Amino acid sequence: MKFQQHQKEYQNAMFRDISRREALRKMGAGLGGIGLASMLSEKNAGAASSTFESRGPHFAPKAKRIIQLFMPGGPSQVDTFDYKPMLAKHAGERPGLVDRKSLRNTKMGLMPSPFGFKQYGQCGKWVSDIFPETAQCVDDICFVHSMHTDIPEHAGAILMTNLGALQPNRPSMGSWLVYGLGAETNNLPGFVAMSPVAKPRGNVANWGNSFLPGAYAGSYVNIREMKSDAILRDLGKPSSLSSEQRKQADLLSQLNKMHLDRRQQDQQLEAAIASMEMAFRMQMSVPEVFDISKESKATRDLYGDSEFAKGCLISRRLIENGVRVVQISHSISGYDIAWDTGHENIVNGHAELAKACDRGIAALLKDLKCRGLLEDTLVLWGGEFGRAPTSEGAKGRDHDHYGYTVWMAGGGVKGGFSYGATDEFGLSAVENRVHVHDLHATILHLMGLDHEKLTYRYSGRDYRLTDVHGQVIKELFA
Amino acid sequence: MFQQKLPAILIAKELFVPMKQSFVSLLFFGSIVSALIATQPEKSTDTDGSKTPVVSAAQIEFFENKVRPVLVKNCFRCHGENEKSIKGGLRLTSREGILKGGDTSPAIVLGNPEKSLLVKAIRYKDTNTAMPPKQKLTDTEIAALTKWVEIGAPWPGSDSNAVAKSSKSAGYDWEKFRREHWSFKPITPIDPPEVKNTKWAKGNIDRFVMARLEAAKMMPNPSAEKHILIRRAYLDLIGIPPTPEQVKAYINDAKPDSLARIVDELLRSKHYGERWARHWLDVARYSDGLGGFLDAADLPNAWRYRDWVVQSLNEDMPYNEFVIRQIAGDVRKPEADAVATGFFAVGPTYISDGGDPEATLQAQAETLADRVDTFSRAFLGLTVACARCHDHKFDPITTKDYYAIAGVFKNTAISEISLASKEGIEAQKANEEKVKLAQQALRQFTKSLQDPEKKEKPKFTQEEQKRIDQLKQEVEIAKKTAPPKAPGIHVLKESGNADMHVALKGDLSKKGDLAPRKFLQIIAGVDAKQFTEGSGRRELAESVVQTNNPLTARVIVNRVWEWHFGEALVRTPGNFGTLGEKPTHPELLDWLAARFMANGWSLKWLHREIMLSATWQMSSSYDATKFANDGDNRLLWRMNPRKLEVENWRDSLLAVTGELDRTIGGAPIEKILESNRRSLYARISRSGDRFESDAFFRTFDFPAAQATADSRTTTIVPQQYLFMMNNPFMINRGIALAKSLETLESNEVRIRTAYEKLFSRQPEDREIQAGLAFVKDHPENWPKYAQVLLSTHEFLQMQ
Repeated sequence: MKFQQHQKEYQNAMFRDISRREALRKMGAGLGGIGLASMLSEKNAGAASSTFESRGPHFAPKAKRIIQLFMPGGPSQVDTFDYKPMLAKHAGERPGLVDRKSLRNTKMGLMPSPFGFKQYGQCGKWVSDIFPETAQCVDDICFVHSMHTDIPEHAGAILMTNLGALQPNRPSMGSWLVYGLGAETNNLPGFVAMSPVAKPRGNVANWGNSFLPGAYAGSYVNIREMKSDAILRDLGKPSSLSSEQRKQADLLSQLNKMHLDRRQQDQQLEAAIASMEMAFRMQMSVPEVFDISKESKATRDLYGDSEFAKGCLISRRLIENGVRVVQISHSISGYDIAWDTGHENIVNGHAELAKACDRGIAALLKDLKCRGLLEDTLVLWGGEFGRAPTSEGAKGRDHDHYGYTVWMAGGGVKGGFSYGATDEFGLSAVENRVHVHDLHATILHLMGLDHEKLTYRYSGRDYRLTDVHGQVIKELFA
Repeated sequence: MFQQKLPAILIAKELFVPMKQSFVSLLFFGSIVSALIATQPEKSTDTDGSKTPVVSAAQIEFFENKVRPVLVKNCFRCHGENEKSIKGGLRLTSREGILKGGDTSPAIVLGNPEKSLLVKAIRYKDTNTAMPPKQKLTDTEIAALTKWVEIGAPWPGSDSNAVAKSSKSAGYDWEKFRREHWSFKPITPIDPPEVKNTKWAKGNIDRFVMARLEAAKMMPNPSAEKHILIRRAYLDLIGIPPTPEQVKAYINDAKPDSLARIVDELLRSKHYGERWARHWLDVARYSDGLGGFLDAADLPNAWRYRDWVVQSLNEDMPYNEFVIRQIAGDVRKPEADAVATGFFAVGPTYISDGGDPEATLQAQAETLADRVDTFSRAFLGLTVACARCHDHKFDPITTKDYYAIAGVFKNTAISEISLASKEGIEAQKANEEKVKLAQQALRQFTKSLQDPEKKEKPKFTQEEQKRIDQLKQEVEIAKKTAPPKAPGIHVLKESGNADMHVALKGDLSKKGDLAPRKFLQIIAGVDAKQFTEGSGRRELAESVVQTNNPLTARVIVNRVWEWHFGEALVRTPGNFGTLGEKPTHPELLDWLAARFMANGWSLKWLHREIMLSATWQMSSSYDATKFANDGDNRLLWRMNPRKLEVENWRDSLLAVTGELDRTIGGAPIEKILESNRRSLYARISRSGDRFESDAFFRTFDFPAAQATADSRTTTIVPQQYLFMMNNPFMINRGIALAKSLETLESNEVRIRTAYEKLFSRQPEDREIQAGLAFVKDHPENWPKYAQVLLSTHEFLQMQ
């Protein structure tokens, strides 16, 4: 074939397919921050103008930010928020209802909760005695008792909870949110993950960006160590933020601008100049936001002095300053699946873990409410699965992925509300079942995103947090 | 649920009539499917079901996505999978079976869900007939089955033989794809076109480029200045800038072949292989293992594969050979070429952590998906992994194609070739034997104490316990005296010769049709020869490089183009399918691919051809008019200005301060920021969070090593500047650069020399003044000034 003829046939198709998505992928910029993103697109007058136009919510969000209180290891539903008085009546029995296929050690009789339960709030919610402080907030909480997930193993189920997949090769929910929404700050990361001692099992996968551009990765902070360098790598020490470094920064700006004169126009170079300035500012703003000594004594007293509570207080400061997503993973020792202390003995492990986070959680909810932040901040509490109502050994419980409880507060969900139910003994979700994918779809919806539209082209297909699943549970919305 | 999606329905209806794939990609399969069901309710009138109605494509989609999986997962176990245990005489595995019904009556009344027993059962209204017995289906599932009955229970093909079948081939029009989609068409060598402007073009590439520009009434940029050109050539081919002397010599060389001689020299450099291996390692999603807790294996010998790539490129191994060895080197020449199969062997291998069978199968499926995905995107530019759960929605790739390729890797294991000496191997074996014997003795002794009649453990006497402890200790001693493990090579090996079944919805526990191992039908035809030798890897490898395979040469030529220009001719280098981009210069791509094969698949030939073109030598200068016309530079009116990859930026930093250690090859270095070796030699964890170097690389856009990376993203973020301002690596480079200039006679000479070293040019007067202002009277400021120069955008830019 002759060139001209071939060209003619080909020409029409040529520009039709310019992929905005591709341009967006290549241009991913900013610290998950809208500021830099829009800066980059401003001068891009070429074919792919306004690169980031598809960013931002798909519809008006009910929640502008989210704090996830992640409880890795599997907190037992029937010992916390899913009150099952029938367990006491049928202690030691093994009704057919609980006779489900499981590799886990769930073949023994029913074991009543060793903890007392009381009713709280106007809604009269029954809550276990190990969460007395959180119990004070039940009128602001929306319980989902009918959660279920795919497998009863920590690793896969944790990934399912935070990535919507059983293997560690997908972006985390937080990075999806920052990718979809950006952040309202140019001086802080858009997504901060924290834990008091141990990172949750799966480490970086829980806040990683996987195939999304690096700008959407969560930054991890160990609450106990609280090194500014751990918050952001290479954050200068305050002493080096001297006039000397300012001079260096000024010179760098000056030289880059001279280069820009020669280049006339250079998008990357312009972004470089702005990024450098932003980096300089971040060195001040990051340590400041993590410094809780700036809080009043009353506030600090409200939270108490546990490591987890410190994380809760920092979370509030972060979201106040425009951070989009905060994830605090509970831990009290070096164990990466803290709540998995229930195998041998529910009493000690669960009581200790609850004690270590209860006050912080309640303080966070009250503090957010009192500052008017709870309205548009979603708080999510829960683990990767629950524990069976039957006993493992004499006093323990093994994993249960057939039914468990998570709860949310603020951010557009109904307060004092309980959705779905497990069977009368608490093993399986039977009424209004909610899979993790459904929870993800619902969270995205609350944040103003359609889970079917928040996609990223990778490896030849459009990926979603919810893969090909997920149904928004509108019944939870206030 | 279907009514709620009204907007999507309207869009999908418009789009589906003439199928515009590029737009469809913006939508979601779920919406499209429900839309079509709603707009084309092909209600059946044959209430007795004796005739199978025609099933539309949309209905097939709906059935395969929403209905069949529900049936397979929840119903087949008791209603059809096993003839011996059919419950209630009801078979739900075929439309015929459902219409015939069980012991009671037909399971459904077509078009009338309310009267259908099946629908009543799944609604759980009556506890006697509620199905499935253990757990109610989800609302979505119930809605889908109800809808399905309502629209006449469309069931594609004839499934009368009552076994779960995979989705039928969606009925691709293979010939149409081969005729109409550019990448499936044969490579057609089109002669370089005649152009009006005959002065600019240096070679054939340029005539293709000029023809497009002339048609758009645009002119290409003039050639870049010589100092820019030589810097470009060095960074492009060896990843470090030229020295001031090299720049001077080139500028003073007025001969017409001055650049050609430099290109040849650089292609002969051993550092060429280092620079270009890194490009290929992106494609190979290379890492030293350590992918995290479900893929945690350390791969301490992965670097031998990396060194093999460096060496192969330096030797200009023909690309077809390069491909064959990476897929099947171990089969062809076990001793010599197995190392090349590191391409696959250093990939992720997922496990499950608790022995849950579903999780185990899922992990296996995920590992196979890595192999198929990496194989097909890297070599063929096809997204075959999309056909893991269903036939590819947009490209002619069936689930059978997927499992045909997956089957090859299912019969392949990862192995380690020990590099131990003969004596070493024998010592190893002897030790293993010793351990085995000790363990045996322990087992036998404890068994002899066990009363076979009783289940509980016996109580040992003190003496028995003593003996047990002693035997245990012997096992430990045997283990401890093992000779040190010799280094090895991670390679593939053959492990079987069996075809896989299609896994329904990607679930390996749900077997569909057998998928004989063979090459992709779109390339090799539906009657392609089945692979018969072992796993079939050798046959697979040869299918890839068959000259009548239109993809392989195009894919690599396109990749090489991208690595020279920053943008490829097909801007989705790993996706040549219908959802990928189309080539900006299709004739050029084909001409290059054909010439590439004719020149013995020589990559060095290709580099030379490209770099000696006027196109590659163009300036990257901005031009407002041209930019307004073609801001994306799809017509190639200029060289794309771009950031250096992080490895080359770091290597250049060390090179200009005179610190770079140019040793080639060897085991990886964990603390790369404390080393002077090239970045290629950094230890990389697949999870990207294990080492300090991981964090550094990731901050500067190093790709995730979890999957093959087509092209790197380029981000410019504050974290990069935090690194430049504060990281000891940068501070030390500033000190080193300042020190290297110390002996020069004046501040001005030092500044001039620094500019020559870093930017291959003389500073402007204002740049000298800015520098002097910083260091004058403050010699202690020199390291800080040097650090600023090293942090400039110009230094990390290829102009």
